[in-house]
Amino acid sequence: MGAAVARWTVAAVLLQVAGLSLFLYGFFPVKPTLRGFSGTESYRMPSCGLVSAGEQEPALPPDQLRSLYGELFGMPPVYDRLVLMVIDGLPAEFVLGRGGKPPSKEMMESMPYTQSLLAGCKAVGYHAKAAPPTVTMPRLKAMVSGAIGGFLDVAFNFNTQAFLEDNLLDQLHRIGRKLVMLGDETWIKLFPTLFARQDGVSSFYVRDTVEVDFNVSRHLEFELAAKDWTVLVLHYLGLDHVGHIGGRRSVLMTQKMKEMDDVIRRVHAASLQDNLERTLLVVVSDHGMTEGGNHGGSSYEETDSLALFIGHSVDRPHCSPYDQNEALQVDLAPTLALLFGVPIPKNNIGVLLRELLNSLTDDQKLRTLELNSWQILRLLQAQIPAFCLEDCINSEHGLEIDVHPESIEKKLCQLLSKAFASHQYSRVHQGFDFKSAEARYIGIAVDNYYGFLRYASEWLSHKATDKPFYLLISAILLMTMSCLCLMGTVSRVFNGQSLSQADHHSESYLNQHWHLDEVFILTGIFLYVISLGSSSFVEEEQYTWNFLTSTLYLIFLIKTVQSMLKGSSSTLVHRAEGESSDGNKELTPGKRDGYKLCTVLIVLVAGRVIRAWHQGGINWVHFPDISKLLAQADSSIVKFLQTISVLAVVALYSVSLMLLRARSKVLIGVWLSHISCGLLVLLHIWEDQINTTLPINHSTTSTARLFYAIASVSISATLLASPWIFPVYSTEAKPASSDSNPVKDTDSCGISNSVFLTGITYTMFWCLLQLLLQQPINAIPLLLIFLQTVSSVAHFSLDKTLHKQWVQVIAMLFLGMAGHFGLGNTNSLASIDVAGAFIGISSYSTVLSGILMFTITYGSPLMLYLGMVVYISVNNTDDISTARQLTWSYILDKMVTLPCLLPLLINSVALTSYTIVLLLMRNHLFVWSVFSPKYLYVCAATVCTYVGVLIIAMTTIYTCAVFSFRAKSYRDKFH
Amino acid sequence: MRAEATQISAFTTAAAHALCFAGLAVAHSLAGRGILVSDPALALRLLVVCEAPVVIAVFSYLRRDPRSCSFFKAAARGLIGLPVGAFLNAFGAIVLGAPVGIKYWTVTIYWSLLMSLFTFVPAACVFGTSKIDWQNVLSHSIYFTPTDIENYMISAPCHGAVLGAWLGAWPMPLDWERPWQEWPICVTYGAVAGHLVGMVVSWVLIAVHKRSGRAKAD
Ligand SMILES: [Zn+2]
Ligand SMILES: [Zn+2]
Repeated sequence: MGAAVARWTVAAVLLQVAGLSLFLYGFFPVKPTLRGFSGTESYRMPSCGLVSAGEQEPALPPDQLRSLYGELFGMPPVYDRLVLMVIDGLPAEFVLGRGGKPPSKEMMESMPYTQSLLAGCKAVGYHAKAAPPTVTMPRLKAMVSGAIGGFLDVAFNFNTQAFLEDNLLDQLHRIGRKLVMLGDETWIKLFPTLFARQDGVSSFYVRDTVEVDFNVSRHLEFELAAKDWTVLVLHYLGLDHVGHIGGRRSVLMTQKMKEMDDVIRRVHAASLQDNLERTLLVVVSDHGMTEGGNHGGSSYEETDSLALFIGHSVDRPHCSPYDQNEALQVDLAPTLALLFGVPIPKNNIGVLLRELLNSLTDDQKLRTLELNSWQILRLLQAQIPAFCLEDCINSEHGLEIDVHPESIEKKLCQLLSKAFASHQYSRVHQGFDFKSAEARYIGIAVDNYYGFLRYASEWLSHKATDKPFYLLISAILLMTMSCLCLMGTVSRVFNGQSLSQADHHSESYLNQHWHLDEVFILTGIFLYVISLGSSSFVEEEQYTWNFLTSTLYLIFLIKTVQSMLKGSSSTLVHRAEGESSDGNKELTPGKRDGYKLCTVLIVLVAGRVIRAWHQGGINWVHFPDISKLLAQADSSIVKFLQTISVLAVVALYSVSLMLLRARSKVLIGVWLSHISCGLLVLLHIWEDQINTTLPINHSTTSTARLFYAIASVSISATLLASPWIFPVYSTEAKPASSDSNPVKDTDSCGISNSVFLTGITYTMFWCLLQLLLQQPINAIPLLLIFLQTVSSVAHFSLDKTLHKQWVQVIAMLFLGMAGHFGLGNTNSLASIDVAGAFIGISSYSTVLSGILMFTITYGSPLMLYLGMVVYISVNNTDDISTARQLTWSYILDKMVTLPCLLPLLINSVALTSYTIVLLLMRNHLFVWSVFSPKYLYVCAATVCTYVGVLIIAMTTIYTCAVFSFRAKSYRDKFH
Repeated sequence: MRAEATQISAFTTAAAHALCFAGLAVAHSLAGRGILVSDPALALRLLVVCEAPVVIAVFSYLRRDPRSCSFFKAAARGLIGLPVGAFLNAFGAIVLGAPVGIKYWTVTIYWSLLMSLFTFVPAACVFGTSKIDWQNVLSHSIYFTPTDIENYMISAPCHGAVLGAWLGAWPMPLDWERPWQEWPICVTYGAVAGHLVGMVVSWVLIAVHKRSGRAKAD
């Protein structure tokens, strides 16, 4: 049976990996982004072949760079000053109407000045479609960079919120322009060093609709009078807050819009005072809002954001301002870049807005479009490696060819060559022909450029946001299949077990009907899966796990009390049973009951303290807890607690080695190395206290490295050596073994002792490693989790009939999850401890620090997996020693099947159900802020499960293999 | 089934439960609507004060061994059982995550006294120190195997109260910002609701048990 189970399990795991990677690929597309900033090369035609990233240009001083750009561009900047006014959450509908109709009369009247500008053709407005997620920070990034970022870009930048990609503001800063920012502090998070003057307001207090905007407007008079800035960013949050409180039809809305209109009037009036009219006022909103005032999803109401331009280049004699004038939010970046004479940001997928170029000559118009096309072409080359302009031109001749191209590549090729060819054509015919003909050629060239740009932009943006639905569905199907596969395997194992149990044990009481703890576990897992569908429960998952785990252990407590009541009422039976199962341990039933009770109580009380240590979660994270208390207290208290934890772990290891009652050099060696590791951790703790000012300290780095070396050597030595030091056959059985069935007399004690030694070594060294890496405040929770592990194992080994084996395994898994949140982890990426990931690493290495980060974050579940090795060793001795047909494969089967299968099954259930939840929630308001980060955690938990199960399986298999080899050679010697 | 145990009828059970329910109803009418949300300590105190004498009196009257144990002895058992049960309930609640701040102490004490009246005190009054009966209260086997009417009477409402309180705690961490999400308001609602459901379940069980018993007799 064992081989079949193993085969099915491996198949299920492979299916799961395949499904998971398919889903990740489909749901979080990673688009190749170009690194670095656009420079002078953006004024040259992109060459074919590989895009060489190494061409570093000498860094020019800002003034020289500015004149160089001007020279290469061939025209002066259209504007000198930019006022970028962001009105958070303003739907374009409020200003521009919808479907060709002007907005309602009420809305028109609440923005009189803006409407008069629109009606007088002094302004041009667009419905600038925003890409989901329609929340502020990604939208601001899209506006300044012209790129639509994927979720993973956000997720993997968790150590800094600063925006590192090429963008408009950095480009302006590079040519020496001065920037000023007033408003939402998101800008300061994105660009911490860019602004010459800044005043950030927090968007945290959503209830406040007045102060947030007053704090921006109070600087307005000073800044409008100041002449030193080139870019003034004004970000007004009030309207968004009005929406969050009262929805679109809030009574405060018109009032707030009047206020915004007033700001527009003031800024425009100030810009008109410069006689040259060299100021461009851009009024944009980052996203719209639903009827109820929320945003984040992808409905029309949320994505319908405004882009309104007020400046001399949009003036025109005739216009119809309420036409549905569609654009993309990303179009802002290339338009502003070219209007201000800087290169277009590298990853831009936006297209120049046509009306903004009204004041340019035809030549200049074509030049800007050419630059935009070159930039998009560079981006295309990054997406389609073989894409090349020259090939396109060579393959197509003339303007007339208009066959239906079969592939997107061909289509792009055709459009591109058509655009460049018509540009060339108009250039050649300049001056020769009549004016009307020239204008016609230019018109054709402009249209061809736009044809290419729009098509390419659309294709690029779809590539960034499209979720291939069928791919996702098939990924989920794969995962479901794997889940069902695991379930089938587990049920087969259970059936096999109950059959064999019926053979051996007469006590059918165990299988009679479901027990409370078993029913509870199934209900609990069901409730947990249901709770994953609610964003609030996902945010506050620590409550769920703590609640479920404590309830499970309370049920254990009740069962223990119950068995005590039963035991004392029928002492005789119990004593007989106790004597038979105890064998070597001299425990009276009373004492044993006491221990059973104590161990459960330890787990419960420790769990409560862990719960109180970190408040955790998202919403109530500011509530008082023990860690905040300690952070305020003297740091020596924390050091003291750390020291206590280290000493306790070292002492416990010595005690548990003593329990083995074996004298061996290996044992002493491991013991000494553990003590030295403990000393190293202590040293690290105390060194840290002396040098807290230095971020990377060389002596602490070497201490940590020494720790890694000693720990890894002693763990692998223990693993390799432990099966060899314990006897294969017990000494009493030796004489008999020569004639009777030799396998039967195998001393199962030897094998469990050796697994015990390996397991306890794993666990204890893991504890020390965690004490080294985790934040100092987490020392006591770590110790408590460790105590919980040990107590659970002790409890389960004291009375093996009280709970079924699968209940015990799942109880340990629950403890691991509760501990995971007890160490301060949450379901937001912000709680990942980045500082600890660099302990002992001198140079930056993504892989190493990633492993350390994983170790820190999943310290608790992994500790329970390592504890499971100890559990295997102490829990299966009876089953094995009483079994009749004792073979090595049978022992292996007994030991390893459930502890490996159940974690995989539980994880598979959680993963599959959460994947389905994520697919269903893909348009939910919180999909990017709550559900997607949680999905990354679920994926990491899957990796954690694989690692844990692999360790358990490998250790037991290796030990069993060595024992069977030794038994065989022993038999051969005696026959 | 024990021969010496006085068989109490289904009607007695219903009457006892009705009296307990009346105690709760009186407390509720005295407190007025919504007081549990606005002043949980006061409401819980009222509930405990009204319910305690009723529960102790009713279940001491229904004690299992009326010949060897006087009414007052049973009542004394109930009085001792009240703080003991409160301690156990408070332990369970705190382990499950009930807040331990000083400002919660009074409500936690009152709540656990109330839970003790729902769970521990009736059993203490009726069963005394009979281990086998206590074991029956703790187990859920009464729902599958026929047993004494007392067991049904005591166990089902007790289990109902605990289960209701447990379920009532689920909305607590949610960010709905409702006043009733505070400890121990929704837990109390859950406990009372579960207790009442448990009473109904116990009647149903007794009725089913009776019918099957009669069928067996025929
Ligand atoms: Zn916003
Ligand atoms: Zn908002």
